[in-house]
Amino acid sequence: MSQTIVQVENLNLTYKSLYAVQNVSFSAKSGEILAVIGQNGSGKTSTVECIEGLRKPDSGLIRVLGKDPWLHRSEVYKEMGVQLQEVEYPSKIRVEEQCRLFASFYERPADWNLLLTQMGLDDKRKHPIHKLSGGEKQRLSILLSLMGRPKLLILDELTTGLDPEVRQNMRISFENIRKSGVAIIMVSHYLDEVEALADKILYLEKGKQQFFGTQQGFREYVKDRVPQDEWEENFSLEKLYLMIAPKTTGLTMEGIL
Amino acid sequence: MRWFAVICKMEMRLFARDFFGFFFTLVFPVLMLLLFGGIFGNTPVYNGADVKMMDISVPAYSVMVIGVTGLMSLPLTLSGYKEKKIYKRFDATPVGKKSIMLAQVLVNLVMTLIGISNLLIVGKILYHIQIKGNFPSICVSILFSIAALFSMGFLFTAIGRDLKSTSLFCYLFYFIMLFLSGATMPDMLFPDTIKKISNLLPMTHAVDLMQGTFAGDSLSLHRMELFILGSVTVICTTVGAVLYRKKDWT
Repeated sequence: MSQTIVQVENLNLTYKSLYAVQNVSFSAKSGEILAVIGQNGSGKTSTVECIEGLRKPDSGLIRVLGKDPWLHRSEVYKEMGVQLQEVEYPSKIRVEEQCRLFASFYERPADWNLLLTQMGLDDKRKHPIHKLSGGEKQRLSILLSLMGRPKLLILDELTTGLDPEVRQNMRISFENIRKSGVAIIMVSHYLDEVEALADKILYLEKGKQQFFGTQQGFREYVKDRVPQDEWEENFSLEKLYLMIAPKTTGLTMEGIL
Repeated sequence: MRWFAVICKMEMRLFARDFFGFFFTLVFPVLMLLLFGGIFGNTPVYNGADVKMMDISVPAYSVMVIGVTGLMSLPLTLSGYKEKKIYKRFDATPVGKKSIMLAQVLVNLVMTLIGISNLLIVGKILYHIQIKGNFPSICVSILFSIAALFSMGFLFTAIGRDLKSTSLFCYLFYFIMLFLSGATMPDMLFPDTIKKISNLLPMTHAVDLMQGTFAGDSLSLHRMELFILGSVTVICTTVGAVLYRKKDWT
């Protein structure tokens, strides 16, 4: 019997009177992968940062394992791991020192020596983090998110900066993590990855929730909104998204060369 | 609380790896003492004076150590951590950002006390400095000076929008106070105009208090310095805390 890990109802968040997130509602259960998709600035990161207890919503209800993450952040983080966008580390700290530090925050930390090997960072354990490549830093960031053996894992642009082979391995790893009963919320622009992993999709546009449901449900949602003569049953998720997403203007390079 | 010990240990290691902080807290003040001790020896400040050069230099350089940790090392590290989103990363763990901020304060406090101890040891061995004050009064003067200068550093971090603007406050105030407070040269050598400016600086009062208590003055003789340093601590900590709460940490 799957347990509801995250419940969000009518979430609203404003920045200086501008709505970043408006009336967003969804839930995620144990062993489920929920992908949050949408254009840049659509409110994906703001939404997950509210669940992470890093931003205080203006209104709405958020429960992570039955607790309010803003009011009970410390308690919630005993069972929640997150990988944030664009985080750096103290200069001159080494990989294994950062791991040891984060391991000390949890009563029953994961075996980070094993994780270092699994993430392909075993030979980098003595390296200062600032000397790691972008992909290596990203893998370390994922490793740190797993340190507390979480029941909920939030991954914001999980595979950005990783090469295709590592991305493929990550997919397999997260498939295994999901099978162990962990709920995963992932923010991603890689829709092939979302298609391969996600059980449910939350699609946001300018802070507003356009769709929440299964991949099949998203397919039907798009089908209802595009001309029938343009429709094909075997469209990929990326194609479906491109059909429904607002067209980005101003990115043409015509006339430059 | 084992995790807090691990954070402090890690921050201590990082402090030791930072050349600037390590050198200017532990090495540079001792070099200053050796340099001026080599030039003047522990001779009277002027002919017929009771006060000897090294006896007043050790407490003055001790304030210099507090200035390095409180006005440079602490605010620059905290501001850098904010800019690199390290606080945000800590907030995304069970321990929160307050743990690393508190660890930074503790580490800088310990390094300050080590820096002051170095000066006392070198001063005692090489120049036979006389410390006439009693231990509790000296401890109170050190703690008031640390509280005032650390809280100023905390305020600089709270005011600065980023590392660059915090650095501007830190460098400006540190160097002005370093040269005009009597921490590097005795303020009795200053002309009247400079003395007036010097009296406006919290570090001047820290130097006066430290030099007085080291020379055997009772704390009641330095009520004004204690009041000024106490007020600086309360004002800077309160304003700093209010500004900190308003900051967007994400």
